[in-house]
Amino acid sequence: MSSRQVLYIGCSDWRVPESAVSTMLPGGIFVHRNIANQFHLDDDNALSVLAYAVEHLKVSHIIVAGHTLCGGAEAALAAAHASCPPPPPSGPLARWLVPLTEIAREYEDLTELIEANVRAQVNNVAGTDVVRAAWADNKRKLQVHGWIYDLGTGRFRDMGISVDGPSKDDVL
Amino acid sequence: MPQDYVLARLLANNSDWAKDVEKDHPGFFEESAKKQSPKVLYIGCSDSRVPESVATMSMPGDIFVHRNIAKYPISIPLLPLLQFHLFDDNALSVLTFAITALGVSHIIVAGHTGCGGVQAALDTAHPPPDFQPPADPLPRWLAPLTEIARAPEFEGGPVALTEANVRAQVENIARTDVLKAAWAAANANVDEDVDVQVHGWMYELETGRMRDLGISVGKADVS
Repeated sequence: MSSRQVLYIGCSDWRVPESAVSTMLPGGIFVHRNIANQFHLDDDNALSVLAYAVEHLKVSHIIVAGHTLCGGAEAALAAAHASCPPPPPSGPLARWLVPLTEIAREYEDLTELIEANVRAQVNNVAGTDVVRAAWADNKRKLQVHGWIYDLGTGRFRDMGISVDGPSKDDVL
Repeated sequence: MPQDYVLARLLANNSDWAKDVEKDHPGFFEESAKKQSPKVLYIGCSDSRVPESVATMSMPGDIFVHRNIAKYPISIPLLPLLQFHLFDDNALSVLTFAITALGVSHIIVAGHTGCGGVQAALDTAHPPPDFQPPADPLPRWLAPLTEIARAPEFEGGPVALTEANVRAQVENIARTDVLKAAWAAANANVDEDVDVQVHGWMYELETGRMRDLGISVGKADVS
């Protein structure tokens, strides 16, 4: 199997060992990790990785992977349900968690938030011009998947929310 | 959607890996959540094929670190094409978390040979015939690196540019508010050993060797 068919977008959390990711494909996979496995649509960092992976490496799969006990999700949950309105975010870490905090307003359970987060980031990735352009090319196969890594077992679980084209409601 | 062979292979390999880890380090995953926070922040390229053992061994100031998965450093953004932009909340949030919440003592910026981003910057700065520049966001992302490649005083090919890139990112990290604050606190600390050091390394894909570029900066450099 040729290397780098896969782009993995995951959390920086040190409890998800690098080898958990790197051993999945012997040739190595293209990896982007940030706090709480986010894909913000205005983030050049993640967008550059996506563009390079899709346009240059021609990956066939993009995996967005959350994980249990995610500290970023915990922080967002706490901020969303704080009894006093929080101060406006100052500093890169607080700013970074604003979108996840918005999602967290609808959830009380951490596991449900972690899964909702993965779903949201899969949607974000699927909505990019980069991915849509790849889908418009009929000769090209590209799938976006949502996974969860279980810290307690070391195993990834496919959430079964994969997308391989724009939804019927979308206008390209 | 039927599961693709590639995905099935990934999950099968993950399962094998998890079994091996449990066999070699019984209880590793159960203890995972309670694992001591790491002391190293590793910043590498998304294209990195650096084996973790290379990144975890022979840390400056450490006695030989046994190949123990439990000591694995926080693996971080794996910045695409190894850039640390001073206005980038993605990388800055990881750096901030690593320093203020985890208290890391070492930050390693590791470039590598055969870097696609470096080649793209070189080609943009000195276009070969028939060169098609990529569409944004890549040129935007690589703009600082392209400037280095374009500078009249820059000489050399991909390896030289990769090293210059690592140096530039070490300097960028040293300029962040969070590092400056950490160094100020460390210099005020009576314990001389308390420090945050930023190192620049190069990984050679061809030989599997990691090389320290000898450009480390710590609190002593700003006191």
